Amino acid sequence: MNNVEYPEEILESLEDYNIDIRDFLPGHGKGAKLLLDFNRISGVEQVEGVILKGREIENGIVADIIIKEGTKIEEPIHLCFGVNKETGVQEIFPRIIAEDNTDVTVQAHCSFPKANGLIHKMFGHFYIGKNCNFTYSETHYHGENSGALVAPVGYMYVGENSIFENNFTLTRGTPGKVKILIDIYAMKNSVIKSNIRAFGKCKKDSIRIRDSVFLEGENARSIIKMKAAAKDGGEVLMYGVTEGNAPRCNGHVECNEIVLGKGSICRARPFIRAIDPTSSVSHEASLGRFPQKWLDELQAKGLTEEEATQILIEAMLQEE
Amino acid sequence: MILETHDLTIPTIDEKCVIINKVSFGVKEGSIHAIIGPNGSGKSTLAYTIMGLNNYKPSSGKIYFDGIDITNMSISERANLGITLAWQEPARIDGLSIPKYISLGIKDKVNTKEIISEALNIVNLEPERYMKRNIDESLSGGERKRVELAAAIAMRPRLIILDEPDSGLDFIVIEDFLNIFGKIKELNMTILLITHREDIGMVADYGTLIWRGDSLMTDVFPKVMLRYCAKAGLKEFCKRKLFNGKQQCFDEDYIDKIFKEEQGQ
Repeated sequence: MNNVEYPEEILESLEDYNIDIRDFLPGHGKGAKLLLDFNRISGVEQVEGVILKGREIENGIVADIIIKEGTKIEEPIHLCFGVNKETGVQEIFPRIIAEDNTDVTVQAHCSFPKANGLIHKMFGHFYIGKNCNFTYSETHYHGENSGALVAPVGYMYVGENSIFENNFTLTRGTPGKVKILIDIYAMKNSVIKSNIRAFGKCKKDSIRIRDSVFLEGENARSIIKMKAAAKDGGEVLMYGVTEGNAPRCNGHVECNEIVLGKGSICRARPFIRAIDPTSSVSHEASLGRFPQKWLDELQAKGLTEEEATQILIEAMLQEE
Repeated sequence: MILETHDLTIPTIDEKCVIINKVSFGVKEGSIHAIIGPNGSGKSTLAYTIMGLNNYKPSSGKIYFDGIDITNMSISERANLGITLAWQEPARIDGLSIPKYISLGIKDKVNTKEIISEALNIVNLEPERYMKRNIDESLSGGERKRVELAAAIAMRPRLIILDEPDSGLDFIVIEDFLNIFGKIKELNMTILLITHREDIGMVADYGTLIWRGDSLMTDVFPKVMLRYCAKAGLKEFCKRKLFNGKQQCFDEDYIDKIFKEEQGQ
């Protein structure tokens, strides 16, 4: 499918990601692509070793993304779940299967630039085979009206000797109401890195994220890094869970949150559990403001305190 | 004078003790002026107060920059007048890239990249290697200090306050830092150098000796250093190391005279 028409507003909302936005469209750039315009599949492009199949349903789509055994591709598989409407319901049911010995990155953009009463739900299953190197990055933009209700749920199974990196970013625009549940099951010798970043910017923004890793296989390792900021009445709850359920597994949860302005609330709830005596699970959390010395250092460059704080927030929420 | 303090008194945060007591001195434009004194004498407190840091407020006295009273100005107002400070232990911040950090103080937004490269070259960091890195824990102490210096240089300030730039560095690196100070001076920037080391201070044109919160003297640097040694009772060190060889500026009789004066007090 070539030269797909796709709403300019959605493409423009992706411009800040240092990418040529036209490369997202089928017929342009490299890599496999699946584009959704509200509840209509508007573009699909497959590459060798990657199967993308989607089916439209009443309020969204069911999609299969299958990476065939041994496939190693440099260009990310791009998924764009865009809605260029103020209201409506978009439901996505993706199933991502990475067969053994694959090496891929999936970049998903969920962009709702006009959201004002819009509901986006996702119920995803990821099956990562053995000896894989799999990165899933999901970047959200919900417009500037705090008008979205976003509730994705992801279950991710990571096979033996695989490396799985999960990145979720919601730092531009105003999030609205966001409730995210991620459960990652890590098998023998697997390595999980999960990075969550979110920024609540006003009273109408409420973000609740539970990111859980279950270390089910011997010697599985994980690190969850949750970073958030809340300002001007925004509210963020980061709930990082790690369970050590297998011999010699090792996990860590880290939550750092910054509170700015009256009425803003940050909460961090690291929850760790170990049932194997040889496992090791730890956590650390910090809430509050940036160290005064950091602010002083930036102000000595001529920035005001507000500008210095903004730079530090951007740095903290930077995608790694 | 580009910088002057008049009877500056700085208390502790709880205002129960005085750290700096009625200190007055002036810094000539284009010079390297060292503030020397032993650990705990109040040198860094003086530097932070001149920069205007939030927890360092004078209880009395005035600070003038180029004739303007800056005593009650904010840190960023002072920075915008042309003062900056390179910290003794600069912060490491995840996610903040070296070019972004250096660019924060650059006013020329058209040639930012060139200015960053030039500043990195001055501090002997290869731009192509360091442009992609962050000011995080991956940098060594020496690298982080060089980036701090580069950020200060890139601002093109009129006065750079260097707080203990030598701390935690080995002697080879220190030699390199001394060369960097020379390059900064060539760029017509004035350096206020906070140090307690005689080898670092020897690059200075002038000095002020701070002793237990008091300023004892301001003069050409060798005289100030000699007084510091006399105050500390370090006569042999003074003769053997400090004013030996090329740096010989006083004959032994003069040194003995200064030491006797101090012992007589």
